[in-house]
Amino acid sequence: MINSMVLSYITFVYFIAFMGYLLMMVMGREIFGRVATVVTLCGLLGHSFAIGLRWIESYRLGIGHAPMSNLYESLIFFAWTIILLYLLIEWRTRNRSIGAFATPLAFLAMAYASYSPNVIERIQPLVPALKSNWLIAHVITCFFGYAAFGLAFGLSLMYLLKRRREGGKESLFVRLIPGRSLLDELTYQMILIGFLLLTLGIITGSVWAHSAWGSYWSWDPKETWSLITWLVYAAVLHSRLIRGWRGKRIAILAMIGFGCVLFTYFGVNYLAGLHSYAKA
Amino acid sequence: MGSSPQTQEKNAVWRFFSSVKLTLFLLILVAVASIVGTVIPQREGMLEFARRLSPGMLEVFSTLQLFDVYHSIWFRVLISGLTLNLVICSLDRLPGILRRFKAAPRPDRRKPFDDVHPEQVFSVAMPVEQAADRVEALLRQRYARPAREDMQGVSYLYGERGRYSLFGVYIVHLSVLFILMGSIIGSLFGFEAFVNIPEQERVDTVRLRKTGEPHNLPFQVECVDFMVEFYDNGTPKEYQSRIRFLHDGHVEEAILRVNHPATFEGIRFYQSSYGTIPGNEVKLSLLHSGIPGEKISIQAKQGKPMDLPGGEGRFVVEDIREDFMRMGLGPAVRISVRPAQGDEVPFWVFLHPERVRERFSQSLDQFPKLNPSAFPPYTFQLVNVSGRYYTGLQVNRDPGVPLVWTGFIMIVIGLFITFFMSHRRVRIRVEPAGNQARLTVAGSANKNPVGLQRELDSLTSRLREHLEAQESPS
Repeated sequence: MINSMVLSYITFVYFIAFMGYLLMMVMGREIFGRVATVVTLCGLLGHSFAIGLRWIESYRLGIGHAPMSNLYESLIFFAWTIILLYLLIEWRTRNRSIGAFATPLAFLAMAYASYSPNVIERIQPLVPALKSNWLIAHVITCFFGYAAFGLAFGLSLMYLLKRRREGGKESLFVRLIPGRSLLDELTYQMILIGFLLLTLGIITGSVWAHSAWGSYWSWDPKETWSLITWLVYAAVLHSRLIRGWRGKRIAILAMIGFGCVLFTYFGVNYLAGLHSYAKA
Repeated sequence: MGSSPQTQEKNAVWRFFSSVKLTLFLLILVAVASIVGTVIPQREGMLEFARRLSPGMLEVFSTLQLFDVYHSIWFRVLISGLTLNLVICSLDRLPGILRRFKAAPRPDRRKPFDDVHPEQVFSVAMPVEQAADRVEALLRQRYARPAREDMQGVSYLYGERGRYSLFGVYIVHLSVLFILMGSIIGSLFGFEAFVNIPEQERVDTVRLRKTGEPHNLPFQVECVDFMVEFYDNGTPKEYQSRIRFLHDGHVEEAILRVNHPATFEGIRFYQSSYGTIPGNEVKLSLLHSGIPGEKISIQAKQGKPMDLPGGEGRFVVEDIREDFMRMGLGPAVRISVRPAQGDEVPFWVFLHPERVRERFSQSLDQFPKLNPSAFPPYTFQLVNVSGRYYTGLQVNRDPGVPLVWTGFIMIVIGLFITFFMSHRRVRIRVEPAGNQARLTVAGSANKNPVGLQRELDSLTSRLREHLEAQESPS
């Protein structure tokens, strides 16, 4: 299918963008960053085009649905949200160094989707339970939330790097990373956006489950892990807003939080085997 | 945390539960407990896991209710603790918030102007009085509760925005209470059950999920018919049942599809599964070993004896099975031949005898009970079994749902207000500087300092444009 072929090429476009941002950081030449931005933007356009194509192809196959229904499609969409959100941040902060930490996330998601033998690329027909408008609302909110948490993770990593080297000998790479207070503020902003969207994601999933199975909450592992993630980020927000935690502590918590996100996304598939009540 | 005189008087319990440290601790504890529940198989899944445990460990696990973490006493205690913590924390901070909310605008403060950014100071060529009037007009347009005070030739002006956002966090906390309350009401006054209804049949009881006990409905439910469509690869595409609710002569019809439930008298019905049950009629073929090529077709009803064509006796279809012994061997019927003299000869006849042969890898003659030629000279063949669909319905009543939905809407609104709106106060001082008026723009906010700075920058440039356009020529 053309769409998955285009998408497998996009994987490399993001890799080139990553290399561009990295070269800018290592060599200290702004031109590499500018090229990387253009490459990322082209990647995003091609990416959007391929998603649209996949949508149309599914209708041609007579099983039309939004391309958000299996692991492959969700990974593709995840990468798309990361890139979109990253470009917005680059545009707002006029700082390209974040790109060296954001584009690899998108690249990894795309590579896993396109080249892992465990991920099925075919457009599959929807089982009746997935045929709901809540599917689209649920997937969009969840993945934009995941993307925001992913960027918070990247920013926290930058913060910790900067903090370790600051004061002493700063390599060119670290010097190009923005100041700690900006990183701290951006991490916090990303967590706010992520938390609101995760809340919306849980709610839309819950309302959907209620209309499909009659119960808005049934403690299945995926649901439970999304709640765990929610609780961890709620703790992060309270520690910052009320206890006034800043900097290193928040950065570490943001990284733990993203670990929970990844487990909610991938890890649960390994748990589900233990649970006979887990819905397939 | 600010300790007002009253806090000292509050008792130890109140102090304990008004601590945010406790909140962090409980949030993490609930998260860890939830992880435990996803790692240890719960409820129906526990049996196999429990078999691998030593008796001592099994004892420990079941005493700690580790096989049903989310409904265990200790998990409920944790949630109650978190709820109490949330309520007391919110109440404890309410007076401070109300003070801030009610505080009268005080434009004449000096302190905010102490260290403002140089870009927020500019001068215009007009009298102080005139400049202050213009600033006041602009503040009136764009801010709430504008105020002005003139002292010793200096004007102080004030405006604010987003005062109600102070209560955003209260909306969030209240919504959590709504959701918890909704779930408690649901578990106390609601039920979750399921029922299978064959086409054209009626039921008035359903089976509870939790206990497996029957539960009577105040009305009858009939499955009028059931339909299923398949994709080319054989997976179901869509299924739906036509349902009729009957109550004291009142009849209502509904179509149930997955994701499209129907409600009758406060009870919701969900299309959840389906299956087939054998009907009570089968089509058989009878072969006579003495007359090759002859095949007699017989339509037989379960339990109704029929004569054998040669008058050797009678036979009856005693049992019809959808799947013989649940071994994947497909449909089968038990036939019993009652000869004119001698004993009854019972045996099973399969729709797919090749599957049986494959399974036992021997001729069926070895097993008289599975041999369709057990009564010579006849050989029975099963041609088809008339089947009917049954529809599998989830049947729920949950009076807590409206509360939970209200909580959902509130939490989104509340989070949005808490995260993205802030109580911003701007203060502008207009003072004489030579024959000009010098303006200083300052501000404060309860959160989002970056947003505040952006607002102060835009306010400064707007004021500047506005005033410079009207400067008196000097």
